[in-house]
Amino acid sequence: MGSELMFFFETVISGVMAGVMYALVALGFVLIFKASGIFNFAQGVMCLFAALALYDFMAPGGWIDRLFGITLPVWLAIVATIGVMIVVAWLIERLVLQHLVQQDPIILFMATLGLAYVLEGLGDILFGSDVKPLDLGIPQGASDWALDTLGLYVEKLEVVAAITGAVLVTVLAIFFQRTRIGRALRAVADDHQAALSVGISLRTIWVIVWSVSGIVALVAGIMWGSKSGVQFSLSLIALKALPVLILGGFTSVPGAIVGGLIIGVGEKLAEVYFGPYVGGAIENWFAYMLALAFLLFRPQGLFGERIIERV
Amino acid sequence: MFYREAGQFKSSYNADQAILPIAQDRVFVIGVLAVAFAGVPWFIDSYWVNAIFLPFLAYALAALGLNLLTGYCGQVSLGTGGFMAVGAFATFKLITAFPELNLIIVVLLSGAVTAAVGVMFGLPSLRIKGFYLAVATLAAQFFLVWLFNKVGWFLNYSPTGQITMPSVEVFGVLVTGPRATPAARYLFCLSFVALFALAAKNIVRGRVGRSWMAIRDMDIAAELIGIRPLAAKLSAFAVSSFYIGMAGSLYFGVWLGSAEPIEAFGIEQSFLVLFMIIIGGLGSVLGSFLGAAFMTLMPIVLKNFMVDGLAVEVVTAKHVEITLMGVLIIFFLIVEPHGLARMWQILKEKLRLWPFPY
Amino acid sequence: MNQEHTGNDVLLEVHNISLSFGGVTAIEDVSFDIRTGEIRAIIGPNGAGKSSMLNVINGFYHPQQGSITYKGETRPQMKPHHAASHGIARTFQNIALFKGMSTLDNIMTGRNTVMTKNIIWQALYFGPALKEEREHREFVEHIIDFLEIQAIRKTPVGRLPYGMQKRVELGRALAAEPDLLLLDEPMAGMNVEEKEDMCRFVLDVNEEFGTTIALIEHDMGVVMDISDRVVVLDYGKKIADGTPDEVRANQDVVDAYLGVSHG
Repeated sequence: MGSELMFFFETVISGVMAGVMYALVALGFVLIFKASGIFNFAQGVMCLFAALALYDFMAPGGWIDRLFGITLPVWLAIVATIGVMIVVAWLIERLVLQHLVQQDPIILFMATLGLAYVLEGLGDILFGSDVKPLDLGIPQGASDWALDTLGLYVEKLEVVAAITGAVLVTVLAIFFQRTRIGRALRAVADDHQAALSVGISLRTIWVIVWSVSGIVALVAGIMWGSKSGVQFSLSLIALKALPVLILGGFTSVPGAIVGGLIIGVGEKLAEVYFGPYVGGAIENWFAYMLALAFLLFRPQGLFGERIIERV
Repeated sequence: MFYREAGQFKSSYNADQAILPIAQDRVFVIGVLAVAFAGVPWFIDSYWVNAIFLPFLAYALAALGLNLLTGYCGQVSLGTGGFMAVGAFATFKLITAFPELNLIIVVLLSGAVTAAVGVMFGLPSLRIKGFYLAVATLAAQFFLVWLFNKVGWFLNYSPTGQITMPSVEVFGVLVTGPRATPAARYLFCLSFVALFALAAKNIVRGRVGRSWMAIRDMDIAAELIGIRPLAAKLSAFAVSSFYIGMAGSLYFGVWLGSAEPIEAFGIEQSFLVLFMIIIGGLGSVLGSFLGAAFMTLMPIVLKNFMVDGLAVEVVTAKHVEITLMGVLIIFFLIVEPHGLARMWQILKEKLRLWPFPY
Repeated sequence: MNQEHTGNDVLLEVHNISLSFGGVTAIEDVSFDIRTGEIRAIIGPNGAGKSSMLNVINGFYHPQQGSITYKGETRPQMKPHHAASHGIARTFQNIALFKGMSTLDNIMTGRNTVMTKNIIWQALYFGPALKEEREHREFVEHIIDFLEIQAIRKTPVGRLPYGMQKRVELGRALAAEPDLLLLDEPMAGMNVEEKEDMCRFVLDVNEEFGTTIALIEHDMGVVMDISDRVVVLDYGKKIADGTPDEVRANQDVVDAYLGVSHG
């Protein structure tokens, strides 16, 4: 293979990996939007919050250390963080959503923006705002195997992220299709009123959905945190996930994944082959333009449900 | 007891269609304007003008613009920061290229340039609705800020990456630059804001305003009774961007004096202005002002209270401030999702009946 | 019953209209005409394609086949705003009022197509724009008087009871001074008294303003009473067309309503 072509492949692969990371964040959005019609802007901050909590539970000088004089091993810290995210979900339902049930979507959207502020501020107050390196023993650096056999440069971490993403999506799919709670969730997503009328508790469902989103956020937080440290900018990956969402459709799990891949690859290619001509740093808006151009042809996104308008 | 409309009969449609049909409201508004124009300039000093009055006026104008689009026409936009940047950079380029041009003209032209850009980014609204559109407007936000940051021509190739407003006189009085008096800067902005608030009120109670609201409330029905969605939506984008562009122009030119694209016009600005209209009241001119006042004052009050009152460390205070902002926003949404303007209305209803509530 | 003012010139004619959504056929090869000054009823069981037909007439749905002749001009389809600005106004099956606006504003919106002053004049609210606003307000007040809704002039329509909303919607359609008024189930969900009121308004509009009316209605008593001619649709096809008496006597119509199986 020529080095030009090799370089192209490397770019595509790193795009795919980045895409998986975007898809992880987008997934959290989709879950909540599907079950409650809420556009949850706080998803990115939830990633940050989860990563901060996880780091804190393992670090000397963290809350667990200060309270009990021990630091948790990785797996226990993850379990504890999941617990925290469930509590957060429960609090959000209790203190916020419950009081805003019948409001317009824009009001709920605004409330999640407020929520983003609260979580960000609380995260800083509880865990400190300095940059924290997150090390869970996930292998770093280039994969020797890929380098030796294919001559391609591939980050190990990105491979792990891709596999984790795939596993997570599979687990979620099974959860939605096979379990009783999953069926209730889908019922709620289809029609709130109808679901209520057959005795499904909307409040429980919301707590569950927000908890699941919290766990997805934790996974995304771990991946991004391992890559570039746990810091405030982690919450900005929410902005990266938005074009993925409009591309894939707000209500579609496969859409989030395919959209993530398209955005990831498109962005990397554009950055490498097109960026230098316009002064670089185009990754901030390129994904949006791509998604926007796409939307003009298919307003409901790739996998979004088509709405037939009637009067 | 004093707030009564009983006995005020209207004998013509003109009188019934007046902006403030109730006499007491008229007196109140005229009073506020009198204090703002004739009272405040005597007392204003540079702290008050920089910390409170100028940000309030610039944001009020921006909120008014966004409210025309989001509150009246129902199109959610997250591109406000980007459009303010367009206004600011248009002002910068115009004033440095044509220094003898009157600043009033420059501000109006900046609005016009922004209106054109706004229409361009409003085009997708013909195909996309709701949150899809909101996210699409983020494209405008990120693209515009990137453009101003990257292309040297916009910055006049400034090595610091900042744009700086030269000192400009209007009718022989300095209104921008470090030597301008607080009162002059304040009055310059206030005149714009008062004038265009009146214009906004007029637009929303006429044909164009009704067609916007029709699109907001039920776009299909609006189309079927003969409102062209194209004309209605794009005119909303144009007028809204015109206001936001002027706001950006005043924000940069008169208030800040110098600005750096990413910091001054980031996505936080878009959210801030959106908060203003939600907390103030969607679809209310008064609400835009109340929201702007609230969001300008709250951080100052919180900070003063914590740092001076409770002697909290500045860094911690910042974090607590962010948290409290979030809490307050959620609290307001829960207590009154229709905003401060609705609270004001309810208060007036109560006042009408007082002291015999039943 | 009001045969005397029914002219014989055709206002609107649909030729061989077919409309389908995906694989589902809503209307199949339907033709009929509407004469100037008449009250034309379109009836049929649920799902017969009546509302779709109205949507085709005012350009919301675009038929795959057929053409529409309106005021002597033939075109394959209308555009909604074109239809509206050429005198076709309508009301909707599920009320489609602008909920955030007052009764007055809703009806004023109906005059949008005839108001012309641009946004600059409106921003100034002075001179021509003020005069225009006042003139149209006067016209709208006539409609408000006619429909006897003076008391709810400034009430947001979202707060009005159902029957009143229907009335406001009629007002909004009338405000456009239509030549052809399409009414989609104007009396659905009303009690007897409200129905009588609505019938009176429909007849008055027809007689006083000379407006041609095409209406969909399920209440057969009402239809047979007020309409000049009736077209009957069933499963997207036209099965009868004629005066109320002719239609009543038609065996196909009786079968369709009593549910005799096809074929």
